Order: sequence, then C-alpha cells, then structure tokens
Amino acid sequence: MAEKRRSGPVMSDPKAAKCETDHEFLSQSGVSALLRGALLKLVESRSEDPIGFLAEHFGHLSSEVDDGGSENLTVSRSLWHLSLSHHSQRSAFNNNVRVAYELLTQSAPRRRRTGGVRGVVYTEVLRCLCSEGGLSGASAAPLLQCIQCHDYEAVPFELFRQGVLTCSVFADYIRKSQCLYAAVARAPDRPAERALCQAVLATLQEALETADGPDVARYLEASAKISPAKLAQAMAEARPPSQQQEGPTMDAQEFEDAAAALFIARVRKVT
Amino acid sequence: MSVEPVSCTIKSPVALQIGDTVSDLSRPGVYITDITLAEPVNIQEISFKNYYTAYLTVRVQQREDGSVKWVTCLRNHCLMANPHAEAGSHDYFSIYRQQMSAKPDNVMTVRLILRQPSSEWLSFNIEEINIYPCVKEDTEWDVPAWLSTLTPVETSLDLKGLPDPETVSSSIQQMWALTEIMQASQNAASIGRFDVDGSYDVKLLSYM
Repeated sequence: MAEKRRSGPVMSDPKAAKCETDHEFLSQSGVSALLRGALLKLVESRSEDPIGFLAEHFGHLSSEVDDGGSENLTVSRSLWHLSLSHHSQRSAFNNNVRVAYELLTQSAPRRRRTGGVRGVVYTEVLRCLCSEGGLSGASAAPLLQCIQCHDYEAVPFELFRQGVLTCSVFADYIRKSQCLYAAVARAPDRPAERALCQAVLATLQEALETADGPDVARYLEASAKISPAKLAQAMAEARPPSQQQEGPTMDAQEFEDAAAALFIARVRKVT
Repeated sequence: MSVEPVSCTIKSPVALQIGDTVSDLSRPGVYITDITLAEPVNIQEISFKNYYTAYLTVRVQQREDGSVKWVTCLRNHCLMANPHAEAGSHDYFSIYRQQMSAKPDNVMTVRLILRQPSSEWLSFNIEEINIYPCVKEDTEWDVPAWLSTLTPVETSLDLKGLPDPETVSSSIQQMWALTEIMQASQNAASIGRFDVDGSYDVKLLSYM
C-alpha cells in the first residue's frame, strides 16, 4: 500500500531520495531480506520467547556487521547458532552447524586461516556445548578426551559437525540415563539397588553389542533385547521379588558414569 | 520346486487277455506296465500323459524290513469320465502321495494297471511316466534365536517391588537410539594426525 508522494520536477539535491516509494526504500536497504531471514530462523528454532530470540538474533547480526569481534564473542555467537535447533531436526541442525563453522573460520586472523577451525576454538566450543547441555565437567571429560583436538590442529567441517552432534546427543543421553535411574530407583529419596542397575545396564550393553549385519535385522534384534518383557525377566532374575531385604545400592553418579562409559566406548577417537 | 524324477526302467505293457493273444481278434482291455526303480524311493508324485486309458490302478511293491510286499495305492482311478468319449484321453495327470491309500515308501517297483472297457479305441497306453521322490524339507534360512523368544512368556512374572518394565524399557530404547544416531553420524573424517600413540616417535622418521 505504497502511496506515491507528489513530487514536483526532479530535483538533484539529496532530498530527492526521500521521494521514493516505501517499497523501494525497503528493497534498497535490504530490510525485507533481513526480516525474512529472521523469521525463517525463528520458525526453525520454535523458541518459547520469540521476542528475546529476535533481539538476540539482531544483536548478533549487528555485532557481526560492526567488527569481526573478539574470539570470545565469535565463540558465543556460534554457540548461539548451534543452540537454535535440536539435533533431531536434521536439516536445520546441519544448516546451523554450517553457519557456526563459517563464523569460526572467518574470525581467525587472515594469516592463520588454514583449512578449518583452530583446535583450541573447537575444543572450547565442545566444552561449552557440553556445559550448556547440562553436563558437569567431570561427566563431559571422558567424551572430550576422545573427540577434542590439539590446539594447533585445523578441524575440517565434517569433523566439526560430527563433534558437535556427538556432544548434543551425549547431553540427551545423560539426561535419559538420569530418567532411567529415577525409574529404577522407584522413589526419589532412595538409591536404586545395585543388582537392578547392573541388570538394566547389561541389557543396554547387550543391545548395543548386537552383531553387525543389515541395519534392519540389527535394529529388530536389538529392540527385541530391550523389550519390556525381556527387561521384566532380567530384573526379576537379578532381584527375585521374594528377597525382602535390600541389597547393596548404587548411587546416581555411579549409574550415570557407567551409562556414559557405554556411550563413549562407541565414540570414534579422532585420528 | 524343481525336483528331478528318479531314474526308472519302464517295461513295455503286457496285455491281459483270455485265450491266445495271437488268434484272439478282440482287443485287450487291460494292460499292465511295470516300472522298476533303481533304489527304494519314497514317492511324492507320479505324472504321466494319458492316451485313451479310462481307469488306472497303481500297485507298489514295498521293501520293508527285508520282506517285499505288494500294496494297492490307487484303485480304478478314473482318467476318462466317459470311456467312449474323447474327454481326458490326451490329458496330463499327476497322482500325488496324498491321493494314495497306502504310503508309497521304500518302493522298489510300481505296477500300473490300465483299463479301457470301451471297444472304440484301437489301443490305449500311458506315456511320459515320471516318478518324483519326496524332498526333505530343509530349513531354507536359519531362524534367528531371538525371533523365537519374541512372544511374551505366558507365565506371569511376579513383579511386585520391581520397577515398571514399560518405563525402564522406554528409557533404555531412547538411550539405545541416541547411541545409534551417534554411531551412524560417524564418518571417516580425520584430522590427519601422524603421531603414534599420542607422541611422535623419532625412530619412525627416516633420514635417508
């Protein structure tokens, strides 16, 4: 609904710029593209606080435009991009990882721009991802040891994406293992019985160690091993219901560490 | 299922006639064909092509525990509904094990008795006789062990005092799925390190 302002004969002074239509003004300044990008990002991330999200988005954009930013700022900006979508939203997640990677490679001083993100920056990103995912330093340490890189190394994109995905998935995994512990313990104030915990972790390990073969067969076999019936059987064997007295217990941290070990055993070490 | 017919010797049909074969002008109404088998066979099927035979009787000679005996497996099986008409006169037939009144196992000889009561036809016979043995049902594929334990155990387990298996199973399934996602996303991307066990080994360098 742009109304053309009545302009007299064409004037050659700067004031003529104001006589263009609203439509032309928007397209010249690139604001429509800017808003479109912002809305796309908002829809992808489905944030619960849209206004806060948009404020952060424009804040990051403006600081990018003003200057390259210090390295810390770049890391926090790339972390913000990585937090936009869950790893299960595969295409959105991949896009965000690509954006974060570009941000980190471009932030390096020109002479140091080798084929990838600097190792120290990469390790810092992973560490922050783990802490943002709710993992303590101690929980995340074994994983980071597997996948982190030396300070001087240059991390290519595929490795960067793999590391970021592994950290996100690991954070979810640890959260799930906490839920599992709560289910096995049956009461929030009592620790779970050791025999039950070990039986439950053993079934998970057995499912993870399903022999190689066609994917479908492997999935079917593994899911048969962790069906409710199989678990009921395993738990009943581990602690017969007739046994009334409580056996030794396992606390939450130990359970979490054991579960984490199962995951980390399957993470490929960086070579 | 391609089963090879067993090798057998088919003797020429012998006519059953009253009186002298040479002088008698009437045509024979019964022919007997013997089929000798090389080794005792459990018969699954006898297939043949008919040529104007109306009724068929099958007798087998079985070897059982050293003794041999004749057993009738099929009596007057009708091949042509109307012996005077053409219907069924040139058809292909198969006699299956299930149709036989006695189990045709360990068969040494098969005797086919052909009858054609009609005087319409100059001669009658059966041709292209094939005998197929029983094939042992091999398990074509191995049923995995876990498949046989899929159906839930009928005996209800006493789950008093144990955690709810549904909740536990659901958490474990998600943990398993997350690990699978991580493993599936791993690729051969490498950073190109040259160190051996975390350190450069000087002995590996060559100065030549």
